[in-house]
Amino acid sequence: MKDTAKIGQSGTLESSDILVMVQLSPDQNGIRIELESPSKKCFGSQILKTIKQTLHNLGIMNAYVKAQDRGALDCTINARVETAVKRALKFKEKGDV
Amino acid sequence: MFYYSININDEQEKEKIVRFLHKLNLRYEDDIEFTLTVVDNNEIIGTGSISGKILKCIGVKPERQGEGISAKIITYLMQEQFKRGRNHIFLFTSPDKADRFINLGFQEVASAEPNFTLLEMGIGGIKKYLENLKEHKLRTNDKKTISSIVVNANPFTLGHQYLVKKASLESDAVYVFVVKEDKSLFPFKVRFNLVKKGCQEFENVEVINGGDYIISNSTFPTYFTRDSEEKIVFMQATLDVNIFAKYIVPTLNIKRRYIGEEPYCGTTNLYNKAMKQILPSVGVKVVEVPRLKIKGVAVSASTVRNLIKKSDFIKLQELIPESTYRFLVSKEAYPIIEKIKSSRSRH
Repeated sequence: MKDTAKIGQSGTLESSDILVMVQLSPDQNGIRIELESPSKKCFGSQILKTIKQTLHNLGIMNAYVKAQDRGALDCTINARVETAVKRALKFKEKGDV
Repeated sequence: MFYYSININDEQEKEKIVRFLHKLNLRYEDDIEFTLTVVDNNEIIGTGSISGKILKCIGVKPERQGEGISAKIITYLMQEQFKRGRNHIFLFTSPDKADRFINLGFQEVASAEPNFTLLEMGIGGIKKYLENLKEHKLRTNDKKTISSIVVNANPFTLGHQYLVKKASLESDAVYVFVVKEDKSLFPFKVRFNLVKKGCQEFENVEVINGGDYIISNSTFPTYFTRDSEEKIVFMQATLDVNIFAKYIVPTLNIKRRYIGEEPYCGTTNLYNKAMKQILPSVGVKVVEVPRLKIKGVAVSASTVRNLIKKSDFIKLQELIPESTYRFLVSKEAYPIIEKIKSSRSRH
């Protein structure tokens, strides 16, 4: 895979947490989020909104995000997305690892 | 309770895991590169392992199930995979246990009832693979005869070329998938390039990387089943063909699959049997082609490898296309030829 170097991951699959993987690649236009959650019907849109807001705050315009939710609160989602993005950026700086 | 990775070269530590898994009716497989153990009060209560892109040998002591230990094990293994640069992973399990993993965020790819379910998680996945596949789509009317062939091509021989040519003449478009799994003597890159070169003369043929969804038998874990080997191979073939039928056939509007008749290899025979059972139900005709014979001998990649082993380049030339021959006499091929000479593997 050509883009392996630009992926950041954060979080766990434990209850009340969320596992976030962020891929920053130039081919990605805009934000694309894939969300899996047991409470997708109730809170899916809220989770998506939180992820988008966090990305926006970090100045990320193009990203592919895979989120595996296990009932995380907004603050947790926030923190996990931010860490994943920062890890992805770190990878990007270092170049091929 | 604490987590640590065992030194997989330490036989004593390994033995403990083997015994623990045995109590759960699971087996510890040989090709494992990383094993995690969960220990509480000096006693193993859970374990999980990594082998390539696959998580396997995951088990938790029955009395401790339901405490979220398996979620912790999976998370830990995912992070370990991530450190190794793998963002997409697979897990095989039995269909009755699949729900537990789906609750943890895995998605089902396909099943072979009643024994196997293939699950995946991470970036990429079958959806992405199909998106890439669409970019390879040849420009034809969907109603036309669209055929497919799957080859390992270890290496590409005149036998493969004969099969492709036959399909090319009888169809409007042909997709040739090259198995990606690198358990063969010729590395994937080399196999793929030789197939591409060998198919260049056919205008309606597109050569495609088989990716992760054309599974080869060597990756298939069997630790959670106690069936006979033949039955396992058949289940694996069923799973593989099910994935093909469920995803690849509709994406490319495939109407036919060409396969070579298999006089020698039992595994391939079982694969052919599975295809004949499953593919007609999704509207795909299986065309079995007798092997190309040159001077009375059926051409096969294993014969070719044997000739390489014996350095019989004159006989070899008769069985392979010029492009493959040219590669074999090039400098690049030197390490591969050395490997073939020292190997006893049939693959």
